Amino acid sequence: MADSDNDSGGAHNGGKGSEMSPREQDRFLPIANVSRIMKKALPANAKISKDAKETVQECVSEFISFITGEASDKCQREKRKTINGDDLLWAMTTLGFEDYVEPLKGYLQRFREMEGEKTVAARDKDAPPLTNATNSAYESANYAAAAAVPGGIMMHQGHVYGSAGFHQVAGGAIKGGPAYPGPGSNAGRPR
Amino acid sequence: MVMADEEENGVSIQLEFPKGRVKKIMALDKDVKRVSSEALFLVSRSTELFLQFLAEKSAQVAIEKKRKTVNLEHIRVAVKRHQPTRDFLLDELPPPSQAAKPDKPTQPAGRPKLDPAPRGTRCIDQFFRKPEPENTAQAPGQPPENPAQAQSPENPDQDQAQSPVPVDES
Repeated sequence: MADSDNDSGGAHNGGKGSEMSPREQDRFLPIANVSRIMKKALPANAKISKDAKETVQECVSEFISFITGEASDKCQREKRKTINGDDLLWAMTTLGFEDYVEPLKGYLQRFREMEGEKTVAARDKDAPPLTNATNSAYESANYAAAAAVPGGIMMHQGHVYGSAGFHQVAGGAIKGGPAYPGPGSNAGRPR
Repeated sequence: MVMADEEENGVSIQLEFPKGRVKKIMALDKDVKRVSSEALFLVSRSTELFLQFLAEKSAQVAIEKKRKTVNLEHIRVAVKRHQPTRDFLLDELPPPSQAAKPDKPTQPAGRPKLDPAPRGTRCIDQFFRKPEPENTAQAPGQPPENPAQAQSPENPDQDQAQSPVPVDES
């Protein structure tokens, strides 16, 4: 589904390509997607001017860069090279978007369930393009992130591929308690 | 499976934005080296939440101003009302369009002022010329009197006093 969506998005972007240069296009999210989400949030009879759509298109790109920059700074301070989910949740809290954290945790839990179910398929598909380092980082991030929500893991232990491994991780996390694991805990996990 | 999850949870796990595009935007920051799939997922979702928030607030502003169409000014006001958003976005928004005031071309009042002296001089000339024609008009009257009184030696006196003439006749 993800791949399909990506391809579809690409095709759609191709259509939009005639309006703006490729480089310019890459700096923003597709305006069609932006418009659709805006309309969902607005009253039924509301309309949006073209200028407003384009401005919001730029605003969301700024938001992505803003959050990413903060998360990236945190990774550098901690001598890590891969930005993970916890870094982003921390960045949002720091930058004043703490209201987003709880909804995102809910989404993240379901995302992990999906990832667990697709682990084999994902690896088969992604193996060729990904480097060993990326693979390692990917798995490491997953484990680290999984530890952050031990409850989630415990609840869905039976549905996750390689449950034995997750069980060990969950066990480790339990010792630390449900609180957010500090940098020390993260440091202890890298392979 | 995806459909089942959507129905069960009541919330779609489907991403609205293409992953590749989100990743490219994240990578605009040169310090960003690698991003986990969870991080990419969280950024996409948080962007959706932010977009919904911005749209809702802008709609509120539009309603307050009794407008059906959300425009730039409504977005600007919505951004100003939320401190965290304001901090990173206000400088990025296009400045409000300033009303272009047409410049009034200052016309030079180059009026050639005539020198009053020449006119004054002309008036004086005219003033002097008016009495002379009167004297000339009186002149023709004197000749007929002169030959009539030429016989008497006291012409000047008679001219000055006209009443003595009857005395001469008696």
